[in-house]
Amino acid sequence: MQAVYPQGGQVNVGCGPRFDLVDIGHPHYVAVVEADTAFWTLVPREQALDMVLGSDLPGEFAQRYERFQKEMQALRFGLTPSAVYFNPTERCNLNCPYCYLPEDMRRAGMDMAEADLFRALEILSEYFQETLPPDSVQPQVIFHGSEPMLRREVIFPAMEKYAHRFRFGIQTNATLLDDEALAFIRSREISLGISLDAHLPEINDRTRRTWGSKGVFGPVSQVLEKLAGYPNYSVMCTVTQANVAHLPEIVDFFHGHQVGVAMLNPVRCTQAGGRASKPDDAVLARHFIAALDRAGELYEQTGRRLVLANFANILIAITAPTARRLMCDISPCGGGRCFFAVAATGDLFPCSEFIGLPQFKGGNIFVDQIPAVLESPQFRRVSRRRVEDFAPCDSCVIRHFCGSPCPAEVYTTYGTMQAPAPYCDFYVEQVKYAFRIIADQRLEAYLWEGWNQGTEQIFGL
Amino acid sequence: MKKQHAGQKQQKPLKPIGFRYSCNLNGSNTGLSHYILLDKKN
Repeated sequence: MQAVYPQGGQVNVGCGPRFDLVDIGHPHYVAVVEADTAFWTLVPREQALDMVLGSDLPGEFAQRYERFQKEMQALRFGLTPSAVYFNPTERCNLNCPYCYLPEDMRRAGMDMAEADLFRALEILSEYFQETLPPDSVQPQVIFHGSEPMLRREVIFPAMEKYAHRFRFGIQTNATLLDDEALAFIRSREISLGISLDAHLPEINDRTRRTWGSKGVFGPVSQVLEKLAGYPNYSVMCTVTQANVAHLPEIVDFFHGHQVGVAMLNPVRCTQAGGRASKPDDAVLARHFIAALDRAGELYEQTGRRLVLANFANILIAITAPTARRLMCDISPCGGGRCFFAVAATGDLFPCSEFIGLPQFKGGNIFVDQIPAVLESPQFRRVSRRRVEDFAPCDSCVIRHFCGSPCPAEVYTTYGTMQAPAPYCDFYVEQVKYAFRIIADQRLEAYLWEGWNQGTEQIFGL
Repeated sequence: MKKQHAGQKQQKPLKPIGFRYSCNLNGSNTGLSHYILLDKKN
């Protein structure tokens, strides 16, 4: 049901807007937030009461309420899939203890046959031609893992053949990226994500290692050096107990290696190994914020930024909600509605994170119609999960900057999806930090160049 | 934009800060999960 806010309605009563105050930890500013529309304003502390209870801010809000509301509705419920995570194999040559895929699958799983992989891409191409609006960009296919480069002899020809129908990406542990593979990727401007957990082998190799427990820092750091100057890659660092205390040094390392975009992703708790590796929320928040501080310092010292994409996405969720790039931090999340995953078996899941959870299989790409799979009960459990439907998120002011991710890890951690994120406190600290960055007018240190290109300013004080 | 560290003394009087940008949802910004990159948008 849609609320109606008549112009000039009284704040926090009747049909008036619901404004909450949030202490963002800034010496001069607090945030005023209307949670349903993700509307916010930073106000000087001493003016906060007058701003909330006066007529100016409610008036400004009322004038734009309908637009804000429609925008959030479209973002949360009006999108159609435009990307696919595609696992060409179940196997991996590494045995990282926190992986979201079960060990037996990674150790001795199956490959998708070459003919099936091409057939699947054909099916996906037809699906997107029918469903994406004519003015949209090409759909994305990300070869994902397990380790997709184990199927290089299949995915490289596939990317050649379908270059005009998809934008391709590869998320890889980088151990199989030889010079020939890198030349192929560079020449075709394929998006590349590589995984590296630390700046030193003794830390990285605690989590990134082969089945024989051999660390892979050496070869992966060499790949990083070879990628210098390539504009279309990023590095994913999974944050665990093993590396959480070193995040600022890791930022230094990435920046020193000319990395433009990195993610410091807290390990997902979807499988037992991830839950065992989870850093404490408060510890994570402290070191993550130190890493953000360091990234800001490096930008000011060098003029070159390292975008920490998972944080940048929170910042964008606040400043330009519809321009966000990653769809984990919104409810419903992107799983099963902005993207979905194709397993090596052809089975379809809302997101790769669910591939190890068979109860979330919504169908099979070779058997079922994709639109029907998207409406399957298994997918709808994810794509209809709303923070409004469970406590404490239903009354949390930052619920649309966080989204209570991720449904897979919430489900395996608590036995239900109707629960807050395992990293709830960490999200609170991230959002408060983001507001402090806005208060200090330092967005340019944390967002990519031209972040607001193609956008329109719809509110400004 | 003016650069200033959190906590650094600011000029008075302070003014409220508020802005919001919007873009059309045509598939170019619908986003992915944490497991993938920004695809030449950085």
